[in-house]
Amino acid sequence: MTSTPGDPTVTVSAAAAAATGVRTPWSEFWRKFRKQPVAMGALAFVALLVLLAVFAPWIAPYDAENFFDYDRLNTPPSAAHWFGVDPLGRDILSRILMGSRISLAAGFFSVALGGLVGTTLGLLAGYYEGWWDRIVMRISDVLFAFPGILLALGVVAILGSSMVNVVVAVSVFSVPAFARLVRGQTLALKHMTYVEAVRSIGASNWTIVVRHILPGTISSIVVYFTMRLGTSIITAASLSFLGMGAQPPMPEWGAMLNEARADMVNAPHVALFPSLAIFFTVLAFNLLGDGLRDALDPKIDRQ
Amino acid sequence: MKHAISLPRRRALAAGVLTAFALMAQPSFAAVDVVLAIGGQPDALDPYNTNTTLTQALLKNFYQGLYGFDKDLNIVPVLAESHTVSKDGLTYDFKLRQGVKFHDGTPFNAEAVKATLERAVNPENKLARHNQFNRIAKVDATGPFAVRITLKEPFAPFINSLAHPSAGMISAAALKKYGNKDIGFNPVGTGPFVFVEWKQTDFVKMKKFDGYWRKGYPKVDTVTWKPVLENNTRAAMLQTGEADFATPLPYEQAGELQKNPKLTVVTAPSIITRYVSFNMLQKPFDDLRVRQAINYAINKEALAKVAFSGFAFPAQGVVPQGVRYAHKMDPHPYDPKKARELLKEAGYPNGFESVLWSAYTTTTAQKTIQFLQQQFSQVGIKVTVQALEPGQRTEWVQTAPDPKTAKVRMYYAGWSASTGEADWALRPLLSTEAWPPKLNNTAYYSSKVVDDAIAGALRSVDEKEKTELYRKAQEQIMKDLPWAPLVTEQSIYATSKRLSGVYVMPDGNVNMDEIAVSK
Repeated sequence: MTSTPGDPTVTVSAAAAAATGVRTPWSEFWRKFRKQPVAMGALAFVALLVLLAVFAPWIAPYDAENFFDYDRLNTPPSAAHWFGVDPLGRDILSRILMGSRISLAAGFFSVALGGLVGTTLGLLAGYYEGWWDRIVMRISDVLFAFPGILLALGVVAILGSSMVNVVVAVSVFSVPAFARLVRGQTLALKHMTYVEAVRSIGASNWTIVVRHILPGTISSIVVYFTMRLGTSIITAASLSFLGMGAQPPMPEWGAMLNEARADMVNAPHVALFPSLAIFFTVLAFNLLGDGLRDALDPKIDRQ
Repeated sequence: MKHAISLPRRRALAAGVLTAFALMAQPSFAAVDVVLAIGGQPDALDPYNTNTTLTQALLKNFYQGLYGFDKDLNIVPVLAESHTVSKDGLTYDFKLRQGVKFHDGTPFNAEAVKATLERAVNPENKLARHNQFNRIAKVDATGPFAVRITLKEPFAPFINSLAHPSAGMISAAALKKYGNKDIGFNPVGTGPFVFVEWKQTDFVKMKKFDGYWRKGYPKVDTVTWKPVLENNTRAAMLQTGEADFATPLPYEQAGELQKNPKLTVVTAPSIITRYVSFNMLQKPFDDLRVRQAINYAINKEALAKVAFSGFAFPAQGVVPQGVRYAHKMDPHPYDPKKARELLKEAGYPNGFESVLWSAYTTTTAQKTIQFLQQQFSQVGIKVTVQALEPGQRTEWVQTAPDPKTAKVRMYYAGWSASTGEADWALRPLLSTEAWPPKLNNTAYYSSKVVDDAIAGALRSVDEKEKTELYRKAQEQIMKDLPWAPLVTEQSIYATSKRLSGVYVMPDGNVNMDEIAVSK
């Protein structure tokens, strides 16, 4: 097997970069990404968030589920409780920190699962076309017709309320998006000269799809994956808010918001901090996705 | 008095406006509409087929009983003028009020009483409150306005049963017209208001009954009862003036609402008691030590603070003070150490896992079960909590056909003895005859001592003996602990300043006999 000539990012930008010398795809990407302060900020935030989530059990000042102080119900932020105390006497900061693990994990796994299934279906549909393509795309259309949250609600209603089922539900509505995206790319890529070249030297379908077409779709998958993370975190939180995801006393952000409803009027901080956590996390993932897209899209570079 | 003076003027005004609108050929017009926001959806417009206090509250305006309760739950005559009881306590003779009309124009008389009560007694009608009337042997019209009711056995709180809002008198003609089921959608009584429309999740609308027997009443034209499940929304509706009255109010917002000059916030004692029942047919709740442990594991003062914002106090026994024959007993002190020891003794040194259901989905209930979850986890008991929707509650708990396979374990619920008397606080909840699907003994508790005492007290006409029997029953219950009694809550409600004559009774029922609106 020869070394991969397949990555379109490389092929296209190689021409553009001819004047400045040879670069690896990675350094090329990083050069462009670095120039975007917003995306860099988002990346830093996401990195921080991941670190916080990983080390949450050691960082959290109190036990998120089993610490409670009934003498300080709903007290606003203070030195002892940076984000204040919730209606059940728990430390909100600790709960948000522990909750970041749940939200990030739910977002990541649901998109990963949806992405895996969707990419596979999209590759096959785009490569083989014909009846298989039509079936996959019509099913995707049907799934697209449902608003995401409604579809997820339906899935959870059938499977039952739990965080694992929420991941499954959210991944279901990621599948058609990935399938459509990858199919489109595959359709374009399979007519590229380099793919024809590989075919002409007798490579198997498997080799063509996995080693030559798939790498070409990776950049869009990565961009879409990142963007999708934000949406999925919101959907998972919404389901928990509606009581169909995380069950008490799990410190899931959406569930925390739900618990805060009754006290929101007298103690706004109980709703404020989980909301901000969701807001910034989703914003960061979306901005990061934008940055990735700009850095990975050769068309934007030319302008 | 004030309203009596302002009434003719308002009438004249209303009439004037009415004419004006008639000229403009407006099809419908409501002069004074009062909106009452309540915390639950009415389940049936049939007083004999609901166990929901707020539904009863609403139905009281269509239906009136032979007797009723005043503000302090004393019995007062309504459609009956008086009655006499035979020495053996079996025969009741009632003299009925004359000149009362039903909404369909038919007169209220002995026939109506007979038709109404015979329907309630007939088990084939499958009415939710059948048990309240099942001691009636027969109902005879002894004259156009005289009724004799014969009981199967002496039943001391019989008049209480008749005074309960569920015992409303239904028009015999309407009952015949609509039948046992559909009367629940077409209420026809003698009350001050006539049924207009029921949109199940949205509202029940009622309008003034012109032929009402109490002259000068009601003083408003239409009343709309709106079920608003969300606590905050109910409070917000008061703030914006969209509702004139709201109950129950979110405890969290009592302070905020008190600051509003347009509202009157009232705190009233209640006979609503909150408890957790244990399914005693199932492990580990068959073990008394486990039930004791759970009673010790709950900090009731903290619960009152967390879930009820302080508008509650630890329950003093099984029957709350304010109900007749309630026996005051000290609550179990909060002692997690003792709880852990008892669990160890019972063979659960590391606790156990179980489920805790709530009969309601209100924020107060959600907080309560989560609080209990916290408390239980401190002694090693891990529970998953779930607030049941009305449908789940009916299916999984109230109508579970077989006690042995019933899924209920720990169950958070509440009860107010609307007859104002210990019988209705004990028999439907803790007697052997009350096991689901019949009534609400969700603990599947069965004690001969308690059953006998309740039955004895029902037959007894001697006050002293009754007090003694009920004391015995209540003490036995606290010894066996089929429940963890939690708190007795206070009811808080608020009215707009323009509204008067609407109040919440100690059992959570709403009375609006004197409803009036000032300009």
